[in-house]
Amino acid sequence: MSRVIALTVNVHGMGPEAAREPASSLFGRFAHGGYAWHVGMPRLLDALRDWEVKATFFWPSSEAARAPALLERCMADGHEVAAHGRAFEDHMALAPEDEVVLLEAAHAALVAHGAQPLGFRAPTGTLSPASFGILHRLGYRYDSSNVDDDAPYSLAADGAPGMVELPVSEGLTDATHFARRLTQSRAEAFLLETLDALLPEDGFAVMTVHPRGDLGLVREARLPILRRLVERARDMHGARFALCRDIAASCLAPDRTVTWNGRPRA
Amino acid sequence: MHPKRAARWPGGARCVVSVTVHMDGPAVEVGRQQVPLGMHAAGRYSIRRGVPRTLELFARLGIPATYFMCGYDAERVPGLMREVCAAGHEIAAHGYVHEGWDPGDAEPELLERTHRILSDCTGIAPVGWCSPSGRKSARTLPVLKGLGYFYDASEKDDDLPYLATIDGEVARDFVILPNNTVSLDDVPAYREGQALAAEVLENWLQELAAIAAGAGYVHLTFHPRAGFGSGTPARMAAVARFLEAAQAMDGVRFLTLRQLAERCLAEPEAWRR
Repeated sequence: MSRVIALTVNVHGMGPEAAREPASSLFGRFAHGGYAWHVGMPRLLDALRDWEVKATFFWPSSEAARAPALLERCMADGHEVAAHGRAFEDHMALAPEDEVVLLEAAHAALVAHGAQPLGFRAPTGTLSPASFGILHRLGYRYDSSNVDDDAPYSLAADGAPGMVELPVSEGLTDATHFARRLTQSRAEAFLLETLDALLPEDGFAVMTVHPRGDLGLVREARLPILRRLVERARDMHGARFALCRDIAASCLAPDRTVTWNGRPRA
Repeated sequence: MHPKRAARWPGGARCVVSVTVHMDGPAVEVGRQQVPLGMHAAGRYSIRRGVPRTLELFARLGIPATYFMCGYDAERVPGLMREVCAAGHEIAAHGYVHEGWDPGDAEPELLERTHRILSDCTGIAPVGWCSPSGRKSARTLPVLKGLGYFYDASEKDDDLPYLATIDGEVARDFVILPNNTVSLDDVPAYREGQALAAEVLENWLQELAAIAAGAGYVHLTFHPRAGFGSGTPARMAAVARFLEAAQAMDGVRFLTLRQLAERCLAEPEAWRR
């Protein structure tokens, strides 16, 4: 069984706070996201270059508007740019007609920056019953929002034949642990126990990081944790890092069925 | 090495360590409309045991610190403020009753009131401010600048100091000294993270090692309270061990935030972000 791991980056800067707080409050505790632009993204991109890892960056269009140069650097460095909604809307709460407009606008904005998004991740983790159908009509090939499996599967039964789900692992997401304000060592222990059990299970893992100073692995003291996870996935587990779009393409057959490591995945 | 860290620190130091004590006395409970007694007396611990314990510790190690004080606490125990001052530490402003909410139109008056109380109490006007709870508004810095302040320690968005932007312009006479509430602050780790003192110490030492090898700016924050703070013996021991470890490193220089801000503003162009 071959093993594949996708390193995914949720490009969250000022957006999460900007969606909840008035612009006049976006200082101090509500401006952690500024770290992503000034420090986190450049440092992460440098590290991925040094480690020779290509990652999939999920970009909300509002963040792309705030930091277009970093979006361009993602593409120039050979990373994948995928869609991540507009401005941290709760998709579960959107009216169907609003969600169509929003997803089309976010898609168009990334295309205008020169990206060709083929995948989507829910910006606040929520989806509506209509989301996959809209993404399917926009030509998307995969979603990576669900926390319901350990390996890729077909979204045909969810209204999107020809789309693949690349399920997210919460345990392999930095923000899951740092949101609980765990120490770095405890967060690393949680990430490691997830990685070590998940990769051997079905030969698949989605690891997710955030470029923020508070919720992410990009501080000077934390980046070595990400490096150790990358090395462990490669060296101990023999896993190969791949872009989400390439994983989706590799498991999707012309007849739209999905196969993972030789097994059909409905 | 961090690209922005030129040989800017005094005496060829490779890393500056600024120790900030958020006293957070009974002002915190009073601000929450609680009677600061019984289970709500954790802020009084700062007065009775915590701040004296920090003064002993800093005297033993010969370290200067910056104490962020609330106006209400200075009214309650002006003698303690003078004692901190007399020991050579800096007193800076931290709200009147630790306003952990948006004070709205009352903000300028609260900033001015605390400034007056701290100035009258010690005879030295504060020049620095850290937001209680990290909230700020667009008018915070203009008001502080008008009162003669030249640094703010409330932002969390960079690894190094940088010039503030006030009223849309980069100020050459006001510097942001970012604090690190993510991993060099006791409260989140103890209150939310439920960490042991030994785990917090380990985390701080990891930060120290990484920062000393990198950006070179360590901004430690702790609270000498009982409850969520570091005032009690087990946790103050972790603070002591951290400071001893920092002191034992080559090229580490302890500066108060005022000293650091003066250093930055002596050469403002080097700190433009």
